Order: sequence, then structure tokens, then C-alpha cells
Amino acid sequence: MKIKNGFVVREIAGQHVVMALGDASKIFNGIIKLNDSARFIWDMLAKGSERDEIVAALATEYNGVDKTTLENDVDTLIDTLKGAGILE
Amino acid sequence: MFYIRMADIDICIKNKYTYVRALCKDYIVEETEAQLTVEISWEMLDGQVNSSRIPITPGYAESICIYKEICKQLPLRFDAYFLHSAVIEYEGKGYAFSAKSGTGKSTHIGLWKKVFGDGVRVVNGDKPIIRCVDGVLYAYGTPWCGKECWQNNIKAPLHALCFLERAETNAIRRIDAGDALLRIFHQILTPEDMQTVDAMTPLLEKTLLEVPCYLLECRPDEQAAQVAYDGMKR
Repeated sequence: MKIKNGFVVREIAGQHVVMALGDASKIFNGIIKLNDSARFIWDMLAKGSERDEIVAALATEYNGVDKTTLENDVDTLIDTLKGAGILE
Repeated sequence: MFYIRMADIDICIKNKYTYVRALCKDYIVEETEAQLTVEISWEMLDGQVNSSRIPITPGYAESICIYKEICKQLPLRFDAYFLHSAVIEYEGKGYAFSAKSGTGKSTHIGLWKKVFGDGVRVVNGDKPIIRCVDGVLYAYGTPWCGKECWQNNIKAPLHALCFLERAETNAIRRIDAGDALLRIFHQILTPEDMQTVDAMTPLLEKTLLEVPCYLLECRPDEQAAQVAYDGMKR
């Protein structure tokens, strides 16, 4: 899995947002708001991490949250990003 | 070739057609040391003409390309950005109204003129520039201003940013920076490179944190202007 070129995440006024640059804005024209855990997942995807690796890292970061919830969070974000054409 | 001063930026425009010079007439200055020089290639012009949904003249296409080129440079070089909005000045304060095309921005600022009279001046009806000068955000008039051609070569400190939506009744409320960010993002020029993103980020942040943002649900009637003013004047 890989985040396509041209998508960046920035923090603006306390919000984590994904923006599309140049040609990437033809794939996805808009902005996606990420909460703290989604930002964590995004940063790992950006580094090229795979699903299970991200779930494991999240489990360490959010100690005490059950695994099913974390898996759901990761899968939902991955599905959303794939649906928007941002992740391939 | 001619020179304009727009948003306190000296710009040299190397034009091919006369249309853009006529458009810029309120902004033309004597030859000066330009901070920015803009010239549109024939290829770019053709691209603009061919990609237009409606037939346009090459001169008009050139003027669009010129403004786009200028706006691309604004964040990185001039602490400024293009904001698709209608801005008026009233009692020394700038009110920016932003919405999707066709929502009724022009109608709404027309209502302000009707209700509050000649004290209301249009800074720009559609395509103003927001620029940070000495820590203060100003809305500047530009020659590019939408089909009504409402613009003045003036600036106004940005007092409020108001997103418009059509509704059955008139109501205004404050929205938080997160909500405003999602809305404002659709009204700016999408950055094309990382440097521009990094210049744009603090500008948007400053706008959202320092300028109160509102959602105005409104009808096209005079009460809408009164509701908007009462909600935002402070």
C-alpha cells in the first residue's frame, strides 16, 4: 500500500487535514479531516507500513483499547483513502 | 506591456491582447520596478480557450491566465492568497462572504447596499486577495471581480468571514475553525507544490484563528443583510 504522490497532511488551527497538490487535486478535490489516531495511521501509511504493522503500533500508542476497535479504525481509514483514490 | 499596483504589489503584465489592460484600468501605475512579471505563453492561452465550457475570446482567456499566475505566487512571495468571495467594506470593516458559485453572494452584498446605503463599498464582488500586512489581514480589491464588475481599488481589514447558504429563514451563527477550514478550502486556489502549501498553512491558520467565521443561512431579502450585520458587527 502506498499513498499516492501529491497528498500531504498538515495541521491547521488544531486540525489535521489531508490536502491534494497540483495534479493530485484532479483525483481528489477537497480536504480530509483526520483525528489524532487517523493522523497516526496516516503517518504510518506514508512511511509504507502495512495494516497489521499499523494495528500493532496503534495498540502500543493507545494502550488499553481493544484490538477489534483498533482494527476497525485502521480498516475504515484504509477503505476511505482507497475509495477516494488516495491510497493504492 | 503595462504596470499595475494590486494588493500593494507592483506587477508588470506583458500582455498579448488589449482586454486585460482595459480590465486593469483602475490599477495601472507608471513604469516601476516590478516585484512580479507575468506573461502568458501561446500554449497556455490555447489551453485556457480549449478547456473553457463556454466560448471565450483569447483576450479574456489571457486575463484569466494572468490572474491565475499572479495568485499562484501570492502565498510564497507576498503573504497573501486568493479567496473566492465577495467582500464589502462598511464602517471601516471588511466583511467577506464566501459560497459556491450561484448561491447568491452578489445578491446578498447588493442587499447590504440597499439596506445600509452608500456607506457600503464593494471591495471586490468575486475574486479579492487577502494579504497579511504587519500582522493584519486585509482584503484587497482587484480588477478581476465577477460578472457584475463590482470592485474598488481599496483595502479593508478583514473583520469577519461569512459562509452563505440558502435557507427558508434568515439566521447567523459562529462556526469553529475546524468547520470553517473545511469550507474555506474549497474557495482558495489549490496549492501546486510543497512550498506553497507551507506558505499557505500559516496564512489559513491566521485567518481561521483571528477572523471570526460565521454561517449565514439566508433568503434573498433585506432582512438577511440586517441579520448578517447584527450577527457580525461586534
